[in-house]
Amino acid sequence: MTFEDAQRELEQIVERLERGEAGLDEAIKLWERGEELYKQCVGQLDAAQGKIEELARRAESAKPA
Amino acid sequence: MKVEAIEYGDRKVYTVASFNRGVADWLSRLPTIWVEGEVTELRRNARWQSVFFTLKDPSDGACLGVTIARSRFDALRLDLANGERVHVFGRPELFEAKGDFRMRALSVERFGLGDHLAALERLKKKLAAEGVFERKRPLPFLPRRIGLVTGNDAAAKRDVLTTITARFPAARIVVAETYVQGPLAPTAMMDALRKVSEAPEVDVVVLTRGGGSFEDLLPFSDERLVRAVAACPVPVVSAVGHEQDTPLCDLAADARASTPTAAARLVVPDAAELLNRLERARGSLARGARGVLEGRRQRLEQTHERLRRAPALAVERKRARLEHSAGRLRALSPRATLQRGYAIVRSGDEIVRSTESVAAGDPIDVEVANGRFGARVE
Repeated sequence: MTFEDAQRELEQIVERLERGEAGLDEAIKLWERGEELYKQCVGQLDAAQGKIEELARRAESAKPA
Repeated sequence: MKVEAIEYGDRKVYTVASFNRGVADWLSRLPTIWVEGEVTELRRNARWQSVFFTLKDPSDGACLGVTIARSRFDALRLDLANGERVHVFGRPELFEAKGDFRMRALSVERFGLGDHLAALERLKKKLAAEGVFERKRPLPFLPRRIGLVTGNDAAAKRDVLTTITARFPAARIVVAETYVQGPLAPTAMMDALRKVSEAPEVDVVVLTRGGGSFEDLLPFSDERLVRAVAACPVPVVSAVGHEQDTPLCDLAADARASTPTAAARLVVPDAAELLNRLERARGSLARGARGVLEGRRQRLEQTHERLRRAPALAVERKRARLEHSAGRLRALSPRATLQRGYAIVRSGDEIVRSTESVAAGDPIDVEVANGRFGARVE
């Protein structure tokens, strides 16, 4: 699942919860799913950030004197 | 002078000598005039009565032999050299013994400053009309090799080389040293220009010399050189030190610079500056990537915050609805009625609904909103 897909689903879940349409059981399930999606998104962002910092570090060390 | 013909029947025949004499006689009647040209093949010998040279038309190479009495020539104290432009005052003459046509000079004047200026102005107009000054090609951003046409051991050459190397250490330069001054300079510079512009990988040529007097810079306005610059297969940067009078090669070149150093700056970029810009670009690249990431993270966190609050909100909303229902339920219960002042009357376990169901003296139980008490029917 791409970051964008997960983010989109997460936002749909939040909107559904906020509109108060879901039944209680369903709301709990949606919440759990939302938290799962959030963790996944954060993981992907952390991975991307790690890659960016690594590239920046490598670029810095390749700088000519 | 009388020229006698020999008669062969009807035919009149002349001897060579008489023919030459006749022509010479006729020529001698022509007026004395000024002729302009370039001195070549100057021959002076102390044992000769005359000094000889050939006057050459610099535009098409037409030639005219000139003689002048040695005493007259020496008296002029011109110290003339081959290649110099002169005005010769004289008249046409036939050297009878040889049948050679030539000019007998009475005086020679070196081309003056005014003459040079006028000639330059005429040439400038002519070349401008032909469009020789119009081609302006962009200089290459980074030439593979640079051609340099300059005087040998010249400060201009050192300036160009130093500046190019300082700005772009990896630059490769093909140097052609040449005369930049004197009568031989135009053709020498043309040769040098052709040589470097035809050298492999040369993408731009710098033509330069340091400052000099007006006369010193004249070769740079020579028509042949100016045309060669305009026709050069690669762009030419002309940097001929000067203040007011622009040599024509500057006009024909693709770019002109006021000094050799300025010319060097035109042909190579500053490597340090380039690296700097590249570094800055790389910096903004990293910043840009971090920015995108930061934006995503913020949006995600906001969404997460909403998610975190959503279940409580949902429960709260349901609770409110529940309370609402409870309220309505309570409103429907008898207790609410008691609150309004009604009472429930019981006799034993039966609720009293009619007067017949009790008799005087019967104990009854009365329930009001906040409790019960006993009573007796009267």
